[in-house]
Amino acid sequence: MAKDKHQAFKEDIVLECRNLNHWFGPKRVLFNINLKIIRGEIVSLVGPSGCGKSTLLRAIVGTHPPCEGDVMIKPRDSDTARVVTRPGRDRGIVYQQYTLFPFLTARENVAVGLMLDQTSLPFRLFRFQSWRTMKKKHLDEADALLNTLKLGESVNQYPHEMSGGMRQRVAIAQALIMKPSVLLLDEPFGALDEATREELQKMLLTLYGENTRARNEDRTPPYTILIVTHELNEAIYVGDRVVALSQHWDHKDLGLSGHPGATVVYDCMSPVFRPSEAPDFELFRKQREMLRAVAFEARHITDPNEHVQFWQEYDAREGWAGNL
Amino acid sequence: MIRRAIDKKKSLMIGVLSILVLMGFYSLVSHWQHQKNPDDSTIPTWTQLGQGVQKIIEVNPRSDERWIVVDSKATMSRLFLGLFFGVAGAVVIGLLMGCFTPFEAFLAPPMSLLAKVPPTAALAVFFVLAGTDTRMYVAMISFGVLPTLAQSIYLAVKEVPDETLYKAYTLGASQTELIWNIILRHIMPKMLDAVRLQIGPAMVYLIAAEMVVGDVGFGYRIRLQSRLLNMNVVYPYLAVLAAFGFFMDVLLRRTQHIFFRWYTHGKR
Repeated sequence: MAKDKHQAFKEDIVLECRNLNHWFGPKRVLFNINLKIIRGEIVSLVGPSGCGKSTLLRAIVGTHPPCEGDVMIKPRDSDTARVVTRPGRDRGIVYQQYTLFPFLTARENVAVGLMLDQTSLPFRLFRFQSWRTMKKKHLDEADALLNTLKLGESVNQYPHEMSGGMRQRVAIAQALIMKPSVLLLDEPFGALDEATREELQKMLLTLYGENTRARNEDRTPPYTILIVTHELNEAIYVGDRVVALSQHWDHKDLGLSGHPGATVVYDCMSPVFRPSEAPDFELFRKQREMLRAVAFEARHITDPNEHVQFWQEYDAREGWAGNL
Repeated sequence: MIRRAIDKKKSLMIGVLSILVLMGFYSLVSHWQHQKNPDDSTIPTWTQLGQGVQKIIEVNPRSDERWIVVDSKATMSRLFLGLFFGVAGAVVIGLLMGCFTPFEAFLAPPMSLLAKVPPTAALAVFFVLAGTDTRMYVAMISFGVLPTLAQSIYLAVKEVPDETLYKAYTLGASQTELIWNIILRHIMPKMLDAVRLQIGPAMVYLIAAEMVVGDVGFGYRIRLQSRLLNMNVVYPYLAVLAAFGFFMDVLLRRTQHIFFRWYTHGKR
């Protein structure tokens, strides 16, 4: 029974990058990226500067489709994946900056997605009474979500009146209210102080806890997250899986003249923590050193697949069960 | 200390003081001038100015109309119509240029060229194309403010961060919704700033045109009374023009402050 469950989870691939290549003119950036993300995972994406993390994220968002290969996304209400060609509401995104609309209050920022998704412009312009009723419903939903994220006091504040941490929490709420298939976080905590950063990391762990609860109760895990970060401790702490991209790998065996770009050189499970648990940096040490050696040091590794072991680890541990 | 803030009351008092200094200086110059020539009308005394104001506001026996009323009606209607069409055109063109690159490629060169042509220098073209009635004034103001305003709006649209647009797409916005609900709201306060800056030039174009071909309006009256050296009428007209410009500026700034609090914070 547990095996069936494990298999079912494994097959619920919500996001897949298939043979993805990207280049800008003569500069090759991404090479043959193959990545499958299971529903309910929090995947941390790390890599040295300029390795194409943001390019990969843009390809997934759909603003800059790959030059070759596909990004496949499985919408929440469908069993079949479709190719990503443009940005859509099935992928939420939180950036480091410009995350909120400055002209809307916190609750309006969170409710704006519901408005855009559930009503049309003519509806809002010409059916004012119905729109007013609906708007109230949207705002109530936004308030409820902001309350759960401990922002109940700040619902009427504008982004410029909030701290960086509050802004990022509202931005996460803004994306989550849309119930996206996958939530993409592009170095979301990069500009925050240590304490706020830790607080938001714990918030992600709380979301992960809800996924675990959902899995245990045979429900679909609600949150799938891909977080891009340059902070290795953060990657290991908040993610249940760490993926590293790197351009430092030996491509000569492929018979290519120029460097083909960065590829996935590391893909392994990482320890899962509860929000109440303090991060044990000593526990991270081995994985952090491995990541540094494989992805960050400019000594070219010969086999980029050597440390791509997530699926073997997953099968060996029967999913996340052994990881908790 | 540089940029040290002062309180509102103090700021207001200093503002009033500057006006009083200006009035005092005028009184002094007028006094000197009248000591040299007691019949002088180029720098009228306050009493002469009072007579001028009376002339403006009382019913003129020849035309049976009050000058200030007919002139204000003519000038303001021309100005508002011209600004309305100019702003409307600039919003459409600026948005198209800022949002869609083919429009940007097509419209940016003519807009930057037209922005360099002073409409007052092209007065003859407007006479030929639009005659000498209200249409001409409206066309002149519209075409005078449109290129610069369209460029300001275009630049404001370009300043909207890409991330903001991508985010809106991921929230389910269509292209129209993106323009209407996100971009337009984003640039609205900057647009008001640009309109504020265009009120002055629009008035210059209008007064210049009225001076040349008008038979009613502020420009016409100022030209006529200047020729007669009736400066006690000219100065009050200039004061009314300045007050109008100032009032419009205050109105737009208040609008910005009330409706776009997110933009004006820290700017005052």
